[in-house]
Amino acid sequence: MATAISIQGLTKKYVDVWQKQEVIAVNNLNLEVQEGEIFGFLGRNGAGKTTTIKMLLGLVFPTAGDAALLGAPMGDNNAKNFLAYLPEETYFYDSMSAWDLMDYYGRLFKLPKNVREQRISICLEKVRLQKDAWHRNIRGYSKGMRQRTGIAQALINDPKLLFLDEPTSGLDPIAHAELRDIVASLKDEGKTVFLSSHQLADVELICTRVAIIHRGKLLRVGTIQELVAGQRTEITVQGKELMNGTLAKLKNISPDIEEQGMSTLVIQSDDTAQVSAIIDVVRGADCSVLSIVPHKRTLEEVFVETVRREEESL
Amino acid sequence: MSVIYAVAHQTVREALRRRIMWIFLIIGVFLIALGPVFGFLSPRDSLVILKSLGLAAILLAGLFTTIVTCIYLIPVEIDRRTIYTVLSKPVQRYQFVLGKFIGGFFTVFINIAAMGIVFLVMLYFQMGHHLAPDMVEGVVLTFFQLMLLAALSIFFSTFATPVVNFFLSFGIFMVGNLTSVTDTLTTSKSPIAALAGRIIYYLLPQFGNFNIMNSLIHPGQNITNMQVYIRNCIVYAIIYSSVLLAIAILIFDSREV
Amino acid sequence: MAQTQTGSFKTSKKKIPVEVQKRRPVYFAIIVVGLILAGIVQNVLAPARNKEQDEGHEMRALGGLNNEFLLLPLLGFRQAAAGLLWVRCDEFFDSGDYDAILPLVRVITYLDPHDTNVYITGAWHMSYNFTDSQERSDRRYIYPSQALLEEGIKNNEYTPDVKFEKGWECFDKIKNFSLAQEGFEEAIATKPLKGTDYYPYGAPLKTYHILAHTYEKEGRIPEAIAEWRQALAISSYFLKKNGGTEEKDFSDYTMQQAEKHNLGENIWRYQDRYLTKPHTPVNTSNYPGVLWPFGGAGKPAPWDVHLTAHIQVIRPKVLKFTGTFNSADGARVDVLIEDWDYKPHIDKNSTTAFAVDPHQTILMDSISVRKDTFDREMDMSKDPKMYNFSHDYYRIVVSFDPRTTAPFVQDRFGWNGEGLTDGQPGHVSIDPTEATFGTKFMNGFGGVGPVWDGKTAPWNQFGQPDHRVMVTFKVSLQQMLGEKPITNANIVPNKIMPLGPDMER
Repeated sequence: MATAISIQGLTKKYVDVWQKQEVIAVNNLNLEVQEGEIFGFLGRNGAGKTTTIKMLLGLVFPTAGDAALLGAPMGDNNAKNFLAYLPEETYFYDSMSAWDLMDYYGRLFKLPKNVREQRISICLEKVRLQKDAWHRNIRGYSKGMRQRTGIAQALINDPKLLFLDEPTSGLDPIAHAELRDIVASLKDEGKTVFLSSHQLADVELICTRVAIIHRGKLLRVGTIQELVAGQRTEITVQGKELMNGTLAKLKNISPDIEEQGMSTLVIQSDDTAQVSAIIDVVRGADCSVLSIVPHKRTLEEVFVETVRREEESL
Repeated sequence: MSVIYAVAHQTVREALRRRIMWIFLIIGVFLIALGPVFGFLSPRDSLVILKSLGLAAILLAGLFTTIVTCIYLIPVEIDRRTIYTVLSKPVQRYQFVLGKFIGGFFTVFINIAAMGIVFLVMLYFQMGHHLAPDMVEGVVLTFFQLMLLAALSIFFSTFATPVVNFFLSFGIFMVGNLTSVTDTLTTSKSPIAALAGRIIYYLLPQFGNFNIMNSLIHPGQNITNMQVYIRNCIVYAIIYSSVLLAIAILIFDSREV
Repeated sequence: MAQTQTGSFKTSKKKIPVEVQKRRPVYFAIIVVGLILAGIVQNVLAPARNKEQDEGHEMRALGGLNNEFLLLPLLGFRQAAAGLLWVRCDEFFDSGDYDAILPLVRVITYLDPHDTNVYITGAWHMSYNFTDSQERSDRRYIYPSQALLEEGIKNNEYTPDVKFEKGWECFDKIKNFSLAQEGFEEAIATKPLKGTDYYPYGAPLKTYHILAHTYEKEGRIPEAIAEWRQALAISSYFLKKNGGTEEKDFSDYTMQQAEKHNLGENIWRYQDRYLTKPHTPVNTSNYPGVLWPFGGAGKPAPWDVHLTAHIQVIRPKVLKFTGTFNSADGARVDVLIEDWDYKPHIDKNSTTAFAVDPHQTILMDSISVRKDTFDREMDMSKDPKMYNFSHDYYRIVVSFDPRTTAPFVQDRFGWNGEGLTDGQPGHVSIDPTEATFGTKFMNGFGGVGPVWDGKTAPWNQFGQPDHRVMVTFKVSLQQMLGEKPITNANIVPNKIMPLGPDMER
């Protein structure tokens, strides 16, 4: 599978007015996104997600580093024929109708009139914008309708690679689910989606791979499975002998032990071999295992944990 | 070219939907329509008043339309983030700037043309069913003067906020109109004043070139060959607008949006 | 992506795509070449534009204040603003608020230097409307009035209006007919612009009429006759062209009748005064320089007008003129009182007004003669603003000019005073300026001048000068104030001022 996005050492520094302080928006970012992926780009507000996308699209210019989109250098005008971008919170030209707006964007791709009309219908139908609104001014649209128009706009050129910035934020649950499904369906059409979001549930549901960025620094990259992998097991054991040396043995295996009263321990481990070893020790010490509970982690937990750990290390 | 056309077309559509543009147009037409009233009041030849007031109204309404339209063309796209959707498509930045300029100046053209037609038709009837070719020349020159102003506003809008732009554009329009001050400076004995005069003369757009209303109203009074003069003015407007747009593109090319 | 980042310093904070960077030289080229080209075009444009300011004399009136200092004109409202101000000015004329008019006229002519009405009305206002308590004009305003007209002419060379007005003021107010002639001739010589509906023959027909009258006043009768014929030719052409008849085009028709009448009268007078047979041109004048062609049979010898003048100062600045002048009743002797070194000028020619010099004194008036004597009081004590007597010496002239006198008096002396003399040879003054000479009598008409063919009038040889009879006094301020009497000892040789007392510059 070919590489859709390849980022090497991408850095963006802003210098404040007095030239004294540097703000690093994106710090030496290295990332590869394969074609056909729905790639989740996660980060808090101001983490550098939007700046990264803008750099990739040539809207802002990097301080250092390089990137290639679909094999072409970033900002390359021809490559843009196969790209699409839905910015966060776009107002559009709200005195235009969705149809006219789509028509304008179609012209920017130099699509001939008949192709344009065909594409506009396909795209507006795909995002399920009700037909009676097609020729109404965007000014009167609901937030969901605007967002649908936004996605339709991104699809006008049948792009290979889409950058979607928070496509589902601030929508009601139904619209939210619908739009999420539309994004998910893009994968089936073989499109690559670079999805910037903090709707972690969505990302977990539809993304194949995920990157976590914090303060411009890439913290983790991997498939969802990889990130949430190493499921944690909680073992609760009981026995009078526990405190007589057994505790020390257990601590050798897993340091994550919590004492609950005089005869109960709660042991945490994310290693299956450890879990077996712990059970062996407990059995040999004439204690009883009260429960073994496997805990599957969510992306949210991983995200929070990752970010927290990074914050603490600073 | 088709991309520039698409941007220009969309710009005109948006501009024509702004209420302010119509307000200026209505004020302009109203002032033109007021001409005969002043003529009636005055013991002076009413035609001269009508011509003077008409051309002045076209210039005034056109001036504000141009500035108010052009200073917003690019900033509004940035504010509403629509520029992201445009520039992430295969649109070069120079195409965007040129499209915006052409759109802005076509909007001004529509405005001037509308007022000009009202004015000329009114003159046609006031002059006993005679056309006034000299006033057509006046309207044409006003249009090219405002085209230069449109280029100036677009140029400033690539780096200045609309409010700053308003004062910059208006200020340069004024300075460009102070031709006799510039001339006085240029011929000044003080080397610094002379230098300042030269700088203004060569570097700032000389809007004063287009102010020949006086000569038009009293034909042949001062400018010997009006046709050549008008042609030169148009050439000047086109050349200078190109310079301003080149600088605008140069700045906009490295502007982060 | 070849934005270099060599060494330890950053060459750029932004990595602009190469594709974009490659275009930069093109833009720089456009900018540099464009600015050079714009400069070249500007250098072509500027002189044409500057011509307006330099040759239009628009700034002169405002002492060099530039057009752009007024926002309204800057925005193109010049004519409109001028028009509105002129409306205001009209109201001042109605309300008699004369002092407010001049500044307004000044500003209006500056705003719209092509409104001929403003120059004409402003000049008329200055030369006629400022008077003393005995309704005598303030002659100090003559000069600014003429200057305003001159300015109007320079700014409106394609229209005859202001030129006509200049001629009219010289004719009617200043009574300097050679200047009036100049003005009317200029008006007629106006080259109308293409596309304007000005008179194809230069000026309105009335200009031809008054020019003819002017020639007559100058004693240049053949030219007056030729001018009437010219006017008649024009009016006939247009009457015929427009199919005008007495019924259809009454005013044009009556104008033509007037032309015919005046032409006839000129011919008749000319015949009567100079051509009555038998006629032998012999110079019988006793006085050197005085040509007297009427010595032949059937004509009386030169008439001695016997001018004497006595001035008595009744109260300070109140002068009583008495004297004799031997002519028909109804003749008028002119009186001039002015600073000995009076020089017409505009005082403080400022941005807002013409002002006259408050330290100058000039009075001009005339006294009618009854039974060969005249007697009149000139009271200058009530108008200190006009007659402020701040100089040490004054010129007082009592004079008679045959050219300005009534026709029935003129019939006795001829247009130039050819038939007039004075017992005191020094009283007869002849203006030596050739331009003021009357007609040199034509061959066969009592002279040896050119043959008049009745059509053309290229009169460059002139004969008779104006024979004025004058007495000049040089009087001190003490005498004016009545501290010392004015006697014959104050009489000094006459000095003719070729262009008249108002027009010396």
